Amino acid sequence: MAVSRVGEITMLGTYRALRRNGVIGINERNLRLVNPNNPRRLMNLVNDKLETKRVAEFADIPVPELFGVVRDARDMRKLPEMMDHADGFVIKPAQGSQGKGIFVVDGPLKGGWRLANGRRVSLDVIKFQINNILSGMYSLGGQPDKALIEYRVKFDDVFGKVSFKGVPDIRVIVLKGIPVFAMLRLPTAESDGKANLHKGGVGVGVDLATGLTLRAMQHDQMIETHPDTAHPLENIQAPYWDDILMMAARSYDVTGLGYIGVDIVLDREKGPLLLELNGRPGISIQIANRIGMRSILDKAAHYTDKKLDAAKRVEVAKSLSASVEKIPMADGRETLSEATTQAAP
Amino acid sequence: MMNSLRHALLLGAALILAGVAVFLIKVFSLGYPVASDATETVWDFEIFLEFDGRDEPARLEVYLPAGDVARTFPQEQFYNGPFGLNLTTETETRNRKAIWTYRYPSNRKVLRYTAQTIGETGATPLPDSFTKAQNKAALFEADPIKRQAFIVWSGDLRRRSADDLSFADLALKETFETRTESEQYADEIAVLLEGRTGVIGRLEIARQTLRDAGIPARIANGVYLTEARRRVDIRHWLEYHLDGKDYRYFPDGDPARFFTIWYGPDDLVTARGIDELDIQIALQERRNATVDVVRQSGNGAPRIDKVFGFNELPLTTQLVYKVLVTIPVGITILVFLRQFIGFKTLGTFMPVLIGIAFRETALINGLLLFSTLIALGLALRFYLERLQLLLVPRLAVVVIFIVMVMAGVTIALTGSSQAIGLSISLFPIVILTMTIERMSIVWEESSASEAIKQGLGSLAIASVSYLAMSNDQVEYLMYQFPELLLVLMGLCVLMGRYTGLRLSELWRFRELAK
Repeated sequence: MAVSRVGEITMLGTYRALRRNGVIGINERNLRLVNPNNPRRLMNLVNDKLETKRVAEFADIPVPELFGVVRDARDMRKLPEMMDHADGFVIKPAQGSQGKGIFVVDGPLKGGWRLANGRRVSLDVIKFQINNILSGMYSLGGQPDKALIEYRVKFDDVFGKVSFKGVPDIRVIVLKGIPVFAMLRLPTAESDGKANLHKGGVGVGVDLATGLTLRAMQHDQMIETHPDTAHPLENIQAPYWDDILMMAARSYDVTGLGYIGVDIVLDREKGPLLLELNGRPGISIQIANRIGMRSILDKAAHYTDKKLDAAKRVEVAKSLSASVEKIPMADGRETLSEATTQAAP
Repeated sequence: MMNSLRHALLLGAALILAGVAVFLIKVFSLGYPVASDATETVWDFEIFLEFDGRDEPARLEVYLPAGDVARTFPQEQFYNGPFGLNLTTETETRNRKAIWTYRYPSNRKVLRYTAQTIGETGATPLPDSFTKAQNKAALFEADPIKRQAFIVWSGDLRRRSADDLSFADLALKETFETRTESEQYADEIAVLLEGRTGVIGRLEIARQTLRDAGIPARIANGVYLTEARRRVDIRHWLEYHLDGKDYRYFPDGDPARFFTIWYGPDDLVTARGIDELDIQIALQERRNATVDVVRQSGNGAPRIDKVFGFNELPLTTQLVYKVLVTIPVGITILVFLRQFIGFKTLGTFMPVLIGIAFRETALINGLLLFSTLIALGLALRFYLERLQLLLVPRLAVVVIFIVMVMAGVTIALTGSSQAIGLSISLFPIVILTMTIERMSIVWEESSASEAIKQGLGSLAIASVSYLAMSNDQVEYLMYQFPELLLVLMGLCVLMGRYTGLRLSELWRFRELAK
């Protein structure tokens, strides 16, 4: 269907329409957003998850508890102690990106450990995985890395019906402290329990003002229901919405990075936790929100120089999202529920 | 931000302009050919004089070819022995003369003049003085018999011709055909020829006859290029100008291509104080690449191609740069394909490195080998995963495995085709290993389809950049015009400021194109 529709439109026509709708590409993201706003010397704060955790804790932004850090073979001996948590834990490379090298352990099982995907592994396998992390297999440029062992998030059931295994998270794009986009990222069977869009995760736009989910996409195409659970994706209320926006807005204050993706998970007991920051957040969020990034960024730029505090910036964010027009759907309807209600009688 | 954009645009434009400017100077002012296979004919011309000295002052005046609009001498050399050399140019005829002198030469002596010349005189127009109408001159006044014979013959010529053109044709024809003794005016010609011999004598009569009729004419002496060899004959012909056109009359048959040495009725060599003079004129044709000819021309004066060129470097270094300067072409293509089309590749410049590796194997062999080795390497890599080896030892095992597979392929192919086997052994192993490692990580951490997509993207870019880098014309242009590197650099600077969508993003954001 999509193929034939694009086939009809000329390439130049597509290009112009996207330009008109303010859609930006990777080139523009790098040149206009990442490079001028994220000085390289600060990037270590987001590239190294241990650093992120440290600055976030310093500013009282809640993060998953750190059980231990493995820096070299000597730390390996303390491993059983670090892993002594009945509720499970997560092993991740400090400098990994795009979810690479993350190992989720459910808990001990018959002398070994049970992974989130149900497999039972021995201590040797875990040590091997940690060695891979230390040798830099998942880090940028292959440089030696640290392995973090941290609290495994018990995710809030609010997104239980629209997730398949794994942990859903909320990605907020923050420009100079003003949240400008939000998206709920849901794991699928295809994405192997990971919430990354390029692995087949589902992205659902979230209204900044209300925290209600909007339209959804997978593989850059609009969808209406979760591919595995078949549950409708629209109009789900994200809890703690104001807290989430505040955490996102304050991430700017603690890092100084002007254009970041803030990834937040909802824990059943601890509420929203800052999982990680991303200094080069992806641009698919435009599809999930059906908003070209340029229009909202231009509007936000009016407020970025005013040195507002985090609470004020959240207010600005809410007012901005109400004022931006969304790109209409192919069949002209505003929301999915309209179509559903029309079809009902 | 706008400031940096303007800065980048200015820099890019300046680099491109500078590169193009030097390129244009070299092409249009210095004559560098743009096509790699342009060749030019170069003539090795030699005058060789051998004679006995008589122990008395000797003087040899020898005509030398002179440069003109259609002919240049990039190289000239004189072998003088003990003789003194003086070069003169006659003002009226523009003839060039070498005057060799020596006080007391004894026994056999040799003098030599060699020149490399480009171009032929066949296309050279007659000088301006020939286009002006000339006064008639009274001829043979001193000799009443000759005068009488001339008046009878030329008067009859005039009656039998319709205009100046047919007059000239007829005069030349009858001057040379008297040899058959059957012509009507053989007697008159014989009288006029008295005291003169050979072709030059007859040409001189013809010249004077035309001159008498107001037609400007001159005798030209030189060689026929069609006869190029070790010992060539000096030929003589008449050049005259009529009704706005140049004419040449060749008594020895029209050679189509010829080469003038001097003008006038004199001999090539006028000698005094020597015996047994032997003159050898040698002429040899050589086809040289035009670019070599252009490069060697000029006499050490500072020129722009001395700065923008590798020709002053040692030969082995030149060969390295021949390959090296093509790499920026591949890289520029890669930048374009990544920034404008949106190809996904393994590693940033890995595809260009693979493209360079293809130089050793040619494209099809390279692609086959590369895919096979990557497939085998990946299989091994996944097997090693089970053994839970550390990263560096695992990489090492893959490298050793690749070397073994390549050795196996080489041994297997040696029987059928030596050339393929040899080129494989130079196939860069490190590039292959790194590709396998990167691909396996993408495979595991993203997906098999992503790994294959990036692998194919890399191979596609590698193929395109290989085709560009190994193209003879590209190699020639980059090597002879290294200033084009500035153009490539400028292009990359400009592409670095492209903020528009990539072709792949048109598809990615198709949902938003309303």
